[in-house]
Amino acid sequence: MISKIERFTVTTRRELELIDITAQVEGAVASSGVQEGVVFVMSLHTTTALTVNEGLPDLEADLAGCLEALVPERFSYRHARFLPSDGQMAINAPSHLRGALLGFQAFFPVEAGRMVRGERQTIYFVELDGPQERTYLIQVLGLRQRKESL
Amino acid sequence: MIDFHTHPVMIRELVSEEAELRRAVREVFGLLFPPQPLEVFLRELDEAGVERAVLLPLDCTTAHGCRIVSNEQVAELASGNPRFIGFASVDPNLEDAPRALERAVKGLGLRGLKLDPALQRFRPDSRERAFPLYQACSQLGVPVMIHCGLSWAPRGRAGLASPLFLEEAVQEFPALTFIIPHFGWPWVGEAVMLALKHANVYLDTSILYCGTPRQALHRVLAEQVGLNVLEQGLHDRLLFGSNYPRQDIRRSVRGLLDLPLSPSLREALLAGNAERLLQPQAGVS
Repeated sequence: MISKIERFTVTTRRELELIDITAQVEGAVASSGVQEGVVFVMSLHTTTALTVNEGLPDLEADLAGCLEALVPERFSYRHARFLPSDGQMAINAPSHLRGALLGFQAFFPVEAGRMVRGERQTIYFVELDGPQERTYLIQVLGLRQRKESL
Repeated sequence: MIDFHTHPVMIRELVSEEAELRRAVREVFGLLFPPQPLEVFLRELDEAGVERAVLLPLDCTTAHGCRIVSNEQVAELASGNPRFIGFASVDPNLEDAPRALERAVKGLGLRGLKLDPALQRFRPDSRERAFPLYQACSQLGVPVMIHCGLSWAPRGRAGLASPLFLEEAVQEFPALTFIIPHFGWPWVGEAVMLALKHANVYLDTSILYCGTPRQALHRVLAEQVGLNVLEQGLHDRLLFGSNYPRQDIRRSVRGLLDLPLSPSLREALLAGNAERLLQPQAGVS
């Protein structure tokens, strides 16, 4: 059994931004040596998300627009106050709630040393309170050799 | 747009080099989240639509044994990027403070003075501690920003930060520009009173006590002060300030843009007044 974890850092540019990380995930699988298993992707933050969708600019814009409409900036959120544990104003409730809608993890099977995904599936790291420096983690877990050869 | 109130205290390139600065930022200034690269600060300005930012250090040598970013560090940031406008800070409780300010302005090119009586522990109406610095600012032709009102710093004492402590100095140094940040909240009426009466008093909009910037700015500026007062009496005396990183710049800008201000006041508040204030001023000898 192999378990390999890689951390990736990205410095985002926009308040709400979708970043295609498919190549990074496939690269982590390829370099792990795992032939059969799974790959997990996880964000280390609560105002970001991970999601999978078709990699088209219009869908990216629609996803961003829908998130803003579903969780509007103008609403009387309770999370709008000074946060002593940070020493700053906590005024980003929409960012947290948009992240809760999308979730913060994704996983794919690994078969014959390759990540299994639909040909239209793109993996996005989603910034919801940028710009910030962010970290996501990829864990590849599985067997070095294919089952039938064991 | 110009953000007249930012603290360069969570820039990783600075705090990662200095354990003492990290301690001061956490224990004295009270910021407890991880620092971010300088590039993130610049991108935050971009995303907010802000072209330039005033950087404010704080010299707490006597009160807390630290400088929360030094004048030299601010000068280095400002010389490395034309988007930054560096202010100085000196410790009023040190005898050579006026000379230190002169060195910071003439030698380092810093363009104003930041004082915080709540953290630096001095009375702004002290003729012994504060007035020599007002005199130096006046002679050097640079403005002074003096923290007034609520101090979120854990060691801050708001009792030293009443706007009313400034009135005598405001009268005695008519050529010196005094900037009251945060609208002096909770002493908003007192701060507005000084700015309405005295042409050398400015107010910045970094009002943060509870709620989002949109809520706080509306509550204080529209409901408490009244937008007509801003339009009629304070048009040329208002500065946009976010108080980054205690407050994010994007939402501060949106909160201001949400107010039904005249185009003229909006332009003055977001840029025009700050540009005029930052023009080189002739010193008063």
